[in-house]
Amino acid sequence: MKKGILFALSLLLAASWCATGVFADNIKLTYMYWGSPAEDAATKQALKDFEAANPGITVEPLFNPGTKAEFDAKLKAMSESDTLPDVGYFRPESVYEYAANGFFLDLTPFITKDGLKKDYLAQTFLTQNGKIIGAYTAAEAQVMYYNKKLLQDAGVPLPPTDYKKAWTWDEAVGYWTKLTVDKNGKHPNEAGFDPKKVVQFGVNHEVWSGMLYPAIWGNGGDVFSADGKQVLLDKPETIQAIQRLADLRLKNKVMSAPGSTEYQAQGSTDPKVLMQNGQLAFYISGAWELLDFSKMNFPLGVGALPIQKKPAQLYISGVNVVYKASKHPNEAWKLQKWMMTPDKTQALYSGGLWMPTKASWYTDKTDAAKWLANPAHPEGFKAAVVDSMAVAKSEPIFIKNYDQIWSEFINPELDKVWLGKQTAEVGLKAAAEKIRKAGILQGIW
Amino acid sequence: MKIRKEAVWGWVLITPLTAGLTLWVAFPVGVAVVMSLFQWNMISTPKFIGLDNYLFMLFGDHLFWQSVYVMLLYTLTSVPLQLVLAFSLALLLNTRVKGMGIFRTIYYLPSLIPIMVSTALWMFLYNTQFGLFNLILESVGLPGLEWLKDPDLVIPSLVFMSLWSVGNIVVIFLAGLQSIPKELLEACAIDGGNAWHRLNHVIRPMMSPIIFYNLVMGIIGGLQTFTQPYVMTNGGPSNASLTYVLHLYKQAFQFSKMGYANALALMLLVVTMLISWVVFRSSKSWVHYEGDRS
Repeated sequence: MKKGILFALSLLLAASWCATGVFADNIKLTYMYWGSPAEDAATKQALKDFEAANPGITVEPLFNPGTKAEFDAKLKAMSESDTLPDVGYFRPESVYEYAANGFFLDLTPFITKDGLKKDYLAQTFLTQNGKIIGAYTAAEAQVMYYNKKLLQDAGVPLPPTDYKKAWTWDEAVGYWTKLTVDKNGKHPNEAGFDPKKVVQFGVNHEVWSGMLYPAIWGNGGDVFSADGKQVLLDKPETIQAIQRLADLRLKNKVMSAPGSTEYQAQGSTDPKVLMQNGQLAFYISGAWELLDFSKMNFPLGVGALPIQKKPAQLYISGVNVVYKASKHPNEAWKLQKWMMTPDKTQALYSGGLWMPTKASWYTDKTDAAKWLANPAHPEGFKAAVVDSMAVAKSEPIFIKNYDQIWSEFINPELDKVWLGKQTAEVGLKAAAEKIRKAGILQGIW
Repeated sequence: MKIRKEAVWGWVLITPLTAGLTLWVAFPVGVAVVMSLFQWNMISTPKFIGLDNYLFMLFGDHLFWQSVYVMLLYTLTSVPLQLVLAFSLALLLNTRVKGMGIFRTIYYLPSLIPIMVSTALWMFLYNTQFGLFNLILESVGLPGLEWLKDPDLVIPSLVFMSLWSVGNIVVIFLAGLQSIPKELLEACAIDGGNAWHRLNHVIRPMMSPIIFYNLVMGIIGGLQTFTQPYVMTNGGPSNASLTYVLHLYKQAFQFSKMGYANALALMLLVVTMLISWVVFRSSKSWVHYEGDRS
């Protein structure tokens, strides 16, 4: 028995000697990220490919799912114990605050040296005081999905795909009304319609903070001024856009569950499943939903977002950073560059999860075909979404206290608006007043 | 000499506990007191700001009073209901009926389920579209309710849920009931007392220390409610279920205001002590200990 233990110990010792010997010259990087199982698998593959292309560098994947609070707690613990990763995803809501505290490597010299800036969409790089602190991991946008069969059955024309010639809001509401049916076959605009017994809804519009921007911007409103010093929530244009979204359920009765922002996913059936079941015609959400849709079996269509006053689009995504604590900044940058090159992580793009940040993948036909020419991307996607990135604006995560302002001041008022307990005017004016009084809007990072 | 030896052993045996308490309780509390005077986001150098965190709490934070209100509302409704229900169940479970063991197991069972699991389970029950409660309501022709999505209903829903897991309290009550001397109950019966007399004049006074214990524990637990709203509603809708500790948690870990969160934590400590003190004071008039003169 004792001999066995001794033998095992000596074996272990020998193995560790070998290990240090073999990998002595190796540079070891860590890459921290999160995401769905598909994203996890594709990321791991991309890291393996990176290792194969760069002998002498090994990358340890650190899969770290969880809420923003959990991510922050973990990161702070890593920071205290000097075990921060080299490269990785970062929560967009707090990236600027961490950058201001010197957590990230200034990428400007690397990007200048490699001449990368012009190759990427203008919104891609995040800057603070003239320094590039990180890059959006992907480009994501808002998309209007629909179940083609339901539209054809109801005799509703398929929506236009050119983002500049989309339906007006009223037109869209008209069609959504036609597509909302109760169990007696009546529509919301007919006498005897029973809103409690609806078998098919016209639309579901996500209403968490990011998803509100296109409607607000498209109506000429905004949430904050560009310098992050003024609240514009109570502008009539903003109020009107929000009231229109609330009315989808309250007045037009074409939308099902109230999309309560804080916990929408938890209380209701996934709209994608409703669409598959033929219980929901339209769904307005993020471009990443394509990944899940591609695994479902119904004729999916993509149309241009309805226009309030002018076409609008949102650029939203997680962020990638290189940590200043990295002992191998050059190699870390190499890895970051690899992850930013869509050829290297193509499955994430062609599968529908991400839209690329590389400009040529939008403009160049060959590059565009690499991610768009596949069953996961319906026909109209190019015209309705990809082209609309020309008018896309970034979610203003560079505003100080951004997350707290939404969570503590705006969303609680909006909850009551979606439920019909107060109008958008009352709610947004109250939120704006509270934000001003609290003095929490303190400019940009 | 012998005494000396015992003393040494005494010290040796309490050292682990004392060291643990010092290191893991007293020290962090001390740090919390100090940090509550700082502005600190955990990634930059803390900045001393005196009592500003406390002033902001009382006069600046528009959610502080909301969270205090939610905390008190939840505690003041859930604790009495829990006690009454648990006491009634304990009385029933103390009768001599065949298969009593099974009933006792059934009522205790929910307490064994981890709180995360039971909370997830109740989210299904409360689901607006396919939850059991709405199915029941609709089957008798009533409209379904937005249990967790209506600001006016969310706290009652959480209170109702808390009644499901009173098993622990029931067990403590049950143990108390069984320790009531039979002679007292018999004496009451011989003197012509009915069930009500036995309950009110024998059982209630004899049980009062146990009721008191459960009351204090219930209040402390109620004031610290976190998991259920964190998992089910994240404090929504419209902050209607933003309990005090959830508010504290968000300040610390979602918004990185660690200094302010420490101030909130200390305030909770003070408030809990105050409430406990009031309850202890009141106990003199209604809690009876055997051998007590009163």
